Amino acid sequence: MSRAMTKRVHKALTDENLQTALTRLLGLIKFVRQITFADLDFESLSQEIRRVKENSIANLPQLVEQFKSQAIRAGAVVYEAEDAEDACKYVLKLAQERRVKNIVKSKSMLGEEIELREYLEKAGIGVTETDIGEWIVQLAGERPAHLVGPAIHKTIEQVAELISVATGQELGTDPQALLDAARRALRQTYIDADMGISGANIAIAETGTLAIVTNEGNGCMATTLPPVHVAVVGYEKIVPGWKDAAAIFRLLSRCTAGMKMPVYVSHITGPSRTDAIPGAVLRGAGGPAEVHIVLVDNGRWQMRETDEFREALYCIKCGACLNVCPVFASVAGQTYGYIYQGGIGAILTAFLHSVDKAEEVASLCLGCMACKEACPARIDIPQMITRLRASLAEEKGLPLLNRIAYRSILKHQPRLDRVIRIGSHLQQPFVDKDLMIRRLPGPLNALTQAVSLPALSRRSLRARFKDFSSPKLTDKPKVAFYSGCVAAYAYPEIGEDVMKVLTECGAEPYYPAGQACCGAPAYFAGDVETALSLAKTNIAALEEMKPDYIVTVCPGCAAVLQREYLSLTSAEPRWNQRARALAGKIRDFSQLVLELTPSARKKPARNQKVTYHDPCHLKRGIGVYSEPRQLLQREGFEVTEMADSDACCGFGGHVVLSYPELSKSVLKRKLDNIEATGAETVITNCVPCVLQLRGGLDKRHSHIKIMHSAELLAKSF
Amino acid sequence: MSAQVAGLAERFKAEAGRAGAVVYQASSAEDASNYILKLAQERDVKNAVKSKSKVADEIKLRKHLEKAGIEVKETDLEEWIAQLAGEKPTGRKTIGQVEKLISKATGKKLHPDPQVLLNAASLAIRRYCIDADMGISEADAAIAETGTLVIVGNEGVTRLVAVLPRIHVTLVESQNLVPLMEDVFVKLKTITRDRAGQVVPRYVTYITGRNTTADIPGAVLARAQGPADEHIILVNKAAKRGTV
Repeated sequence: MSRAMTKRVHKALTDENLQTALTRLLGLIKFVRQITFADLDFESLSQEIRRVKENSIANLPQLVEQFKSQAIRAGAVVYEAEDAEDACKYVLKLAQERRVKNIVKSKSMLGEEIELREYLEKAGIGVTETDIGEWIVQLAGERPAHLVGPAIHKTIEQVAELISVATGQELGTDPQALLDAARRALRQTYIDADMGISGANIAIAETGTLAIVTNEGNGCMATTLPPVHVAVVGYEKIVPGWKDAAAIFRLLSRCTAGMKMPVYVSHITGPSRTDAIPGAVLRGAGGPAEVHIVLVDNGRWQMRETDEFREALYCIKCGACLNVCPVFASVAGQTYGYIYQGGIGAILTAFLHSVDKAEEVASLCLGCMACKEACPARIDIPQMITRLRASLAEEKGLPLLNRIAYRSILKHQPRLDRVIRIGSHLQQPFVDKDLMIRRLPGPLNALTQAVSLPALSRRSLRARFKDFSSPKLTDKPKVAFYSGCVAAYAYPEIGEDVMKVLTECGAEPYYPAGQACCGAPAYFAGDVETALSLAKTNIAALEEMKPDYIVTVCPGCAAVLQREYLSLTSAEPRWNQRARALAGKIRDFSQLVLELTPSARKKPARNQKVTYHDPCHLKRGIGVYSEPRQLLQREGFEVTEMADSDACCGFGGHVVLSYPELSKSVLKRKLDNIEATGAETVITNCVPCVLQLRGGLDKRHSHIKIMHSAELLAKSF
Repeated sequence: MSAQVAGLAERFKAEAGRAGAVVYQASSAEDASNYILKLAQERDVKNAVKSKSKVADEIKLRKHLEKAGIEVKETDLEEWIAQLAGEKPTGRKTIGQVEKLISKATGKKLHPDPQVLLNAASLAIRRYCIDADMGISEADAAIAETGTLVIVGNEGVTRLVAVLPRIHVTLVESQNLVPLMEDVFVKLKTITRDRAGQVVPRYVTYITGRNTTADIPGAVLARAQGPADEHIILVNKAAKRGTV
C-alpha cells in the first residue's frame, strides 16, 4: 500500500467516465467468455500451451541460436538487446541511418515496456500507433489500459473528441463514422511511412519466422508498406516450431476476443524477395527490403533463472486474467501505475521494471484466484504473488506494525485471545444493540465505510467449547472442528451450529483447544517464518485425537491447511508427511454433511428461495462448488443462481484493510447480483464472506439475509 | 468430391461464415467467374488487383472481368510483366525486354538495371493496390477447423491485395482444404520452391473472416482497417473443368 496508489485507486473509482467505460467492458467480456469456451476442451488445450511454453523456456538458449541462424539465413538482421535503452538506441540509429521521418507502429507490449515510441519521438521522428485503440491512447497522451484493449477506459464521447481533433473534423458519437474517419487517417500514414515497427506474438525457431497477430489488419499494412520493418521481440516469445505456434493460436484469440482465430496472422520470414527480374534475386518487391529483429532481454533471462517466477515467461499476453480480475473491473489498467497490469503484471513489473513498483501492483491483489482459473497457460499467478511478497519481506523486512501483529500476537494463540478480549471491551461504545458496529472513531472509520462490522464476541469459541475439546469414545466418526479466527471471535454462533448439525448427522465433533490462526495473514504478507510456526502448531493440535475428518467453515483456512502447509514444510520431511496426512482429512462443512449422510432423502420443498455465493477459496482453492448447492437442494431449498456467483465479494487479501474503497466497489457488484435474483436469503460457506456480505447488506438496509450453510441447516434440520 | 473433402468443405464453410466471411460453393468454372463478376458489378468495382492464382487462370477470370470493362492488374511481378507483354508467364525474358515493358508501363525511360526496374515496378504495383476496389487472391491452404485462408507469397504484395482494397475475394480449391492448423506447415513445405533452400515462403498470411475492432466504444464493428467484405469461392477440380 502506498499513498500514491491510494490516490490512484480513489481517482479511478470516482472517475465517472472510467466507470461508465468499465461497465460497458464487463458486458462485452461476459459475452466474449460465453462464446469462447462453449465448444472446446479448455483444459486440454491449455495444458498443451503449458507444455509448449515450458519446453520452449527450458530450451531457450538453443532455440535462440536456431532462431537467429534461420532468420539470418532468410535475410533478416538480428540484434540482441540487453535492456530497454540498448533496444531503443538500435532502432533510433537504424532510423537515422535510413533517414526515416515517419514510422507506423503496430501494437507491441514490449514497445510499451521499453518506451520505444517516446524514445523515437524525442529524437524528432514521427511515430503513429496504428491499432485504433492504441492510436486513441496515443492521441490522449496516455498509456494502454489493458493488454489487449488499450482504450477500454474511454467513453464514446471522449473518443469522438480525440478523433475529431486529430482529423480536424467535427465528428459526432456515431461509432461507425468515427471508425471510418480513423481508418482514412491511418491509411495514409502507412503509405507515407519510411519504417514499420511491430512486436511479435510468437517467434518460430525452426524457420526464423515472426508471427504477428491483429484483428484490424493494421499489422499486415505496417509490416508490408514501409521499406524497413523492425520487430521488437522478447526472448520468451520463441517456440520451436509451427506446430507449437498453432497450439497457442488455438486459444489466444478465444481468450482475448472470443474468436476461434485472430482475423490476421502474418508469418514473416526475412525480407520480401523476387527473382522475376532477370539477372538477380532482389529484395523489396512489394514488401520491405529490410527486416530487423531486435531480441530484447530487459530482465527476462534473470526471470528464467528463478524457479519461483519462471512461469511468468509462459504468459502469451492474452489478457484473460485481466478480464476476470475484480480489481481490474473496478479501476482499470492505468491505476496499476505501470505497463503490465493485474496479477501477472505484478510479477512482470518486478523483473522488467522495478521491485518497488511491483509491490504496489501486488498490493491490489484480492487473492481470489480468478486469474489462475482463466489463464490459458495455467500460470499460478496467485502463488507467484505470494512468493513475490515473501521475497520482498525477506529483502526489505516487514513493516513494524505487521511484524508485531504476526510475530508477537498471531503466532501465540493465548496472546491473540487476550488481545481480542481487550478489543471486545474497547469496542463497547461503538456496538449497536444488534451487535453490529456501524461507525468507528478516527482513522478506523475507513473500515466501516463499505460494511458494518460484527462486534467481537465476549466469549470466543474456545471458551464456549471448553468441555468439547476432545471426542467422546464412541464408534461415530470423529470430526475435529477447525474454526478459523473470524468464526472463533466474531461469529461463534456459526461454530455452535456446525457442532449441532454434525452431531445430528451422527458424528462426534469436537473443538481442539490447541488450534491457532492458520497463518494466512502472515503467509500472504510474506512472513514465512510465522506461517511455518503456526503450521506446526495446527498440525500438532489437529492430528492429536486422530480425527476421521477435519471440518472447516473458512475456505481460506482450509486452502492453507490443505495446500500451503505442504509447501511450507517442504524442507522438513517429517512435518511434510504429517501435513500430507492432515490435508486428506480436510472437508468443507457441506461436503462433510453429504459424506456423513449419503442416503438421506430429499426433503419436501420449503418454498424458500435462496441464492448461493461461491467463496473464492472454496471453489478455486479446494475445488468445492457443487456440494453446497446439492445440500441446499436436498434440504428442500430452491437455489436460484446469481450472475457471477464465483466472483470475489471484495474481502480478499489485504485490500479490505489497505484500500477499503476498492473493496467496497467489488462488493457493490456482488450485492447487485445478489439483489437481482430476488432471493430472500443468500447462503455461502465462508465465514469471512458472511462478514463482508452481511456488513454490505446492512449498509444498504437490505432485507436480504446472509447465512452460512450451517446456520440455515441448524434452523431447519 | 470425396466424402472427406466434402466434410472439410462443410466445416470450413460453417467456420468462415461464422467469422464473417461470405462463402460460395461454385458449381462450375463459369459459375465462379460469374459470381465474381456479378459481385464486382453490384459493388461498383472499376479496378481490381490480382495475386498469382492457378485457379483464376483456369477459369479465365481476368479475361472475364476485363471483357465486362473492369480493369484487372496482376501484382505478382512475373505475372505483371507477362500481362504487360500480353503473354503467359514463361520466365524466359531478357533484361532488355523487361526494361522496355516496365518503361512503357510507367511512362519513364528506365535503365536496364534490375534494381532500378524492380523499384519502378514495385512502386507501380503498390499504387494499383492502393487504388483498387477489389483484391483477388487464391488460398494455398484453407483450414477447416477455423475457417481460415492461408495465402503465401515471397514478394509481400499478396498481403496488399488481401488487405488494401475494400472487397477481398479468395478462390479456394477444395483439394487445398486441410483439417487442422498443424497441417498447414506440412503443406507449405511441399509448395515452397525456393532456390535459396528456404523451407517456407516469406509471407504466410492467415485470414479468418472479416476484420473487426472493439476499440471504438459502443460496438464491435466490422471493417476495421482491411476490406469491408471477405468473399470466399470454393471451387473443386471437376467444377474447374466445367463438368460438375
